[in-house]
Amino acid sequence: MIGYICKYTPVEIIEAFGEEPVRLESGYKSHEHAEALIHSNMCSFAKGVLENIIENNIEEVILTACCDSIKRLYDVLKDKVKFIHILDLPRKKDPLAIDLFYNEIIEFMEAYQAFKNKNFAEENLLKILESKSFNKEKQSAESIAILGARLKDDVIEKIINSCTANVINFTCTAEERVFNIEAKDNLLKSYAESLLNLTPCMRMAEDRSKLINKELKGIIYNTIKFCDFYSYEYAELKSKADLPLLKIETDYNDSNSGQILTRIDAFLESTGIKKMEKQRAKKGYFVGVDSGSTSTNVVIIDENKNIISYSIIPTGPKALESAFKAFEIALNNAGLQEKDITSIVATGYGRVSIPFADRIVTEITCHGKGAFFIDNTVRTVIDIGGQDSKVIRLDDSGNVIDFVMNDKCSAGTGRFLEVMARTLGISIEEMAKVHKEVKENITITSMCTVFAESEVISLIAQNKDQRDIIHALNKAVASKAVSLVDRIGRKGKYMMTGGVAKNQGVVYAIESRLGEKLIIPFEPQIIGALGAALISLEGK
Amino acid sequence: MDTVKIYTNIIKDNMDRPEKVDKLINFGLTSAYYYVSFFKDKRIPKSLHYLNKYSIKSIKDSLANPQNSAWVNLFAPSEFLIAMDIKPLFIEAYSSFMSGFFIEDYLVDTAESRGMSNTLCSYHKTFIGASELNILKKPKFMMTTSMICDANIPTFKYLSKKHGVPLYIIDIPYKYSKDAVVYVKKQLLEVAEKLEEVFNRKLDTDKLREVVKTENKTRALMREYLNYAGEKRFIPTMTFEMYMLFASHVFIGSKEVLHFYEMLVEDIKRAPERSGKSIFFIHLLPIFEKNFKDYFNFSDKFHIAGSDLNYDFVDEIDENDPFKGIAEKLILNSFNGEINRKVARIKELIEKIKPDGIIQFCHLGCKQSMGGTFIIKNLASEVGIPFLYLDGDCVDKRNNQEGQNRTRLEAFLEML
Repeated sequence: MIGYICKYTPVEIIEAFGEEPVRLESGYKSHEHAEALIHSNMCSFAKGVLENIIENNIEEVILTACCDSIKRLYDVLKDKVKFIHILDLPRKKDPLAIDLFYNEIIEFMEAYQAFKNKNFAEENLLKILESKSFNKEKQSAESIAILGARLKDDVIEKIINSCTANVINFTCTAEERVFNIEAKDNLLKSYAESLLNLTPCMRMAEDRSKLINKELKGIIYNTIKFCDFYSYEYAELKSKADLPLLKIETDYNDSNSGQILTRIDAFLESTGIKKMEKQRAKKGYFVGVDSGSTSTNVVIIDENKNIISYSIIPTGPKALESAFKAFEIALNNAGLQEKDITSIVATGYGRVSIPFADRIVTEITCHGKGAFFIDNTVRTVIDIGGQDSKVIRLDDSGNVIDFVMNDKCSAGTGRFLEVMARTLGISIEEMAKVHKEVKENITITSMCTVFAESEVISLIAQNKDQRDIIHALNKAVASKAVSLVDRIGRKGKYMMTGGVAKNQGVVYAIESRLGEKLIIPFEPQIIGALGAALISLEGK
Repeated sequence: MDTVKIYTNIIKDNMDRPEKVDKLINFGLTSAYYYVSFFKDKRIPKSLHYLNKYSIKSIKDSLANPQNSAWVNLFAPSEFLIAMDIKPLFIEAYSSFMSGFFIEDYLVDTAESRGMSNTLCSYHKTFIGASELNILKKPKFMMTTSMICDANIPTFKYLSKKHGVPLYIIDIPYKYSKDAVVYVKKQLLEVAEKLEEVFNRKLDTDKLREVVKTENKTRALMREYLNYAGEKRFIPTMTFEMYMLFASHVFIGSKEVLHFYEMLVEDIKRAPERSGKSIFFIHLLPIFEKNFKDYFNFSDKFHIAGSDLNYDFVDEIDENDPFKGIAEKLILNSFNGEINRKVARIKELIEKIKPDGIIQFCHLGCKQSMGGTFIIKNLASEVGIPFLYLDGDCVDKRNNQEGQNRTRLEAFLEML
């Protein structure tokens, strides 16, 4: 077995040697071995592959000089595996580039032949290439494209299984290997040329705009932290934006996390290609359960969309128990029993683990729904919860047409404020009070919760006024929220939801940045659950 | 409030008026130029003073004449531009100056709000931000190499598409071979053709050869300078080691840069003998980082002994066939290819310079640099020189953890 990464690797040559090429994955949560060998700020895919090679004693590796991280991966691995070879990969595909790549392939073959003490038979290669020459892509009326950096196989599979459209994977994990085997007089050269003619990845000099087709129903754009190539194309697509576009940013290993799958599901829901059963619910009472990371909220409405009762309780260590408890409280408040309930929709992080729910819907769709129900002039919802923050754009009918979420860290969320309150030695309620008079306009420069905490500690050490520090923290949260708003563009009116909407200081700071008043619902924490209850009633 | 802060605030308040910001930046550069000209700091040797003025002027010239200017990266072969009297603007320099004006945060945020990744190198984000806000007037041409830095191709592709400005990407192979030289030479011939077409003037091959001859003479002086670098205490601040990138890269081949190195060699001969501890830097120097400024600028105790980026190519270029010669220069750059090449160059340099310590400041997002940190650390321990690596950002000051870095830097300096 020989491990490889890049789709431009001559895997068919390896197969012709009678060896098994295996695309190396990076599925490790910890990079213990890797970070002893390479800087921790490197791309996490490269670190994950390094971890995999060391952990599983992979002895043979073939890499391409495709990016700075993989080049350095080669440097680090050079004396650590039995066989390692790096192929130079030209970025162009003119005849001289093809010659260069052809020579690289020959050089690899010679090295591998010497290492394995095996001969290479060209007829084996020919047979393999012939077997791969008629792979045609499935055609479907509706398609969505996955573009950007490599996306894990299991995520691709989940997307395929949860949408009604054809999914075209343009990332490096796509296995589109169709070869031109016409020129048998120089099979290897024509093979080299075919490899360079694969769908160009971002590192290639070629223009990729031909990949974007107006017929597409939408694009899921994947970017990986510390992978330089892809955010540019996303920025370009975003500015043209005549297609629904979802950006996900991961550190590769967490691309199958709940948060990412939520975004993908919400995107499929908003583009109308999510597989789901549509049925109209009967009369009675309808429940929405929002199982969030910090609080669990339940709303019960009747068939006329009147809110009958609601409950908000902290999510304990067991999300399911909290959901049961919140449901029970809401039932008691309403004077209802479980049998009176017609249907239940669950949303929030913990939505998949609520057994009594009839359906699950993402919190993005639910927040949009709930906010628009409260006030139909709302076009932008700013939701800042305990662990995440999101901005949702609604159209004139209240449909979600775009959204952005914070990355996986807790910068600019309720958790951030909780940590800071603890550092300042005050309660979160005290922190939420507005202090409009500021003695000194301090700015917290670090958005990372951990770094900002040390910054606050040093401000305390400098004897700064506590109210000024709180003001600075509110500004930091507001700046993060407004930069999320800016990512999808400003459009009023704005509603703020989630627990942080109860913090007047933050609300005030966001308002002054946006230059507009925020609509704050009577109970900002139940908007997601309300949306879920409405979806439960409407049955779609 | 100090003058720079007032100036910064005026720029930031006018960001929605690109014409005005462009004028303000020009005003800032002009003021800096005259300030340097009239208030000579006696602690700065004549050659470095000359370089300071030359660097500011080169940025001013390209910004003032966008129609005769090309945007390039640090490693682009600007010999062609010099021979055709086209003014290069290299993105690394522009972004450093914007950080000097304290507006890099605004420009970085702008780039990020347009979709750029927050882990992308801030030299690139600052430049893109300025371009997004139309503070930068579009040039006539763009040229980049693919080598060393992954961000080059996508940044230039993005900017070229956005502004509708022609771009030539020179693909530099990772390995050196005869075929690789042929491949690059052909591209350089195409660049020359493209430049002739865009700027509507001929490239005089004799003039190009003259530029290459000047470059060879300059490199001979560079090697001579290195002979003294081990004995003398010379570079007064980190900024000058970074200004040297103007001379060792983008403007090498010009008469002015040759003149600079002539003065430099004379100056270093007269410089005081080495005293205190000397530090050799890997890759970049964090010119805006407070701890480093406190410890290294105009310091008697610690002094800057050089950086390997200024010596990534020290050989001669083939004067008979400048296209082939420049192709070889690009492929053989010590930062291109396997890290062994870079390690070998660092080894040669530290044998000459004999520093007391080596510091690598890992600029956030620069994977070619930080990816090799532990390998360079091994080299340092082999040759018995203490090594420190710190993380931070050379442009976006918000990414520098001053408290944490101070403890590490102080402990390292105490260790020496």
